[in-house]
Amino acid sequence: MAALRDGDFVALQILLKAPSKDAVRQLCQECFSSPPAALGPLAQRACPGLAVSAEEAEQLVSALHNLTRHVVYRGLTRAEDILCLFPENFHQNLKNLLTKIILENISAWRNEAQASQISLPRLVDMDWRVDIKTSSDSIVRMAVPTCLLQLKIQEDAALCGNNPVVSALTVELSKETLDTMLEGLGRIRDQLSAVANK
Amino acid sequence: MGLLNFTRDPVPEAVSGDMHNLNQLSAQQFSALTEVLFRFLTEPKEVERFLTQLSDFATMNKISLGPLKNIVKSILLVPNGALKRNLSSEQVRADFIALGLSEEKASYFAEQWKVNSPTLTRLAVGQTLMINQLIDMEWKFGVTAGSSELEKVGSIFLQLKLVIKKGSRLENVYVELTLPQFYSFLHEMERVKTSLESFS
Repeated sequence: MAALRDGDFVALQILLKAPSKDAVRQLCQECFSSPPAALGPLAQRACPGLAVSAEEAEQLVSALHNLTRHVVYRGLTRAEDILCLFPENFHQNLKNLLTKIILENISAWRNEAQASQISLPRLVDMDWRVDIKTSSDSIVRMAVPTCLLQLKIQEDAALCGNNPVVSALTVELSKETLDTMLEGLGRIRDQLSAVANK
Repeated sequence: MGLLNFTRDPVPEAVSGDMHNLNQLSAQQFSALTEVLFRFLTEPKEVERFLTQLSDFATMNKISLGPLKNIVKSILLVPNGALKRNLSSEQVRADFIALGLSEEKASYFAEQWKVNSPTLTRLAVGQTLMINQLIDMEWKFGVTAGSSELEKVGSIFLQLKLVIKKGSRLENVYVELTLPQFYSFLHEMERVKTSLESFS
């Protein structure tokens, strides 16, 4: 995550050429959501709408990306804090517009950042069924209940981009194993309550 | 020989000879041998120990090990078949008598069978095929303090490591859950437990 540079604010003033406030809003959202690698293509798409050179578009897109990500990183929520980031001589109306747009989006952007943060593979779904085993090669007649648990696990979102890989894992648990597992889960729950009550 | 309870297949010819030899053992010797056999049946992984104990028995009673092993092979046919078919001690006794073992020894063995069968049944059930059996679960939970995108986060994460038996090897599966997912998972597992208990 890049830090804000002085050159960024110069580039931001290119937005004064934008056709409308909505165009600015749209561009802000796209710049935040885009990963650094996709900023190039995004700049190319933005070029015609802004009537600027390719190089200027790239600088603008990069600056907007840095600004929005910086605000989200620092967790700024008040207008004053965001306004402070801009240099003294920055265009007043543009500054207010950008601050307003950022405040509108900050909460959604924060959720987006949290959802895409690195993690171990995530549980996305689980299903279960209970079977009764009635016979096997080692014992001809029995009535043993057993549980089949299917976990749908999604690999790290950051690695998969737009095509998350979801694998299904089916696990068998005997009653004893389930009891032990529940004991463990109960302990987790108790510890979570203890932490929450502190 | 009439119909046997423990098997539908014809019994190997050597068996009646082995039963005859068994009858020559004293009650005490038969009792000691039976003990060795049941110790093996209840702990089938202890093959080394079983062979050592057989060898000791052979030495102490001045019997050759080779013939003894054959006798043991013949005897074991009955409890293995009986376990598969959930036979009662009466049926086990009847089968041994049908094979040529003396009434006294057959009754003794059947008695030992009755004592050991709950353990043996549990073992047999335990050997039943399980798909991707869950062996162990380890967990940790903590707080995400910050990330490259968010300086301060403060959200709780829960990580589970599931150890699963796939065929003969163990595989570790790592999963992360959010707090709501954890509570939902716990709730579902409690429902499973209720369901399993109603069928036990």
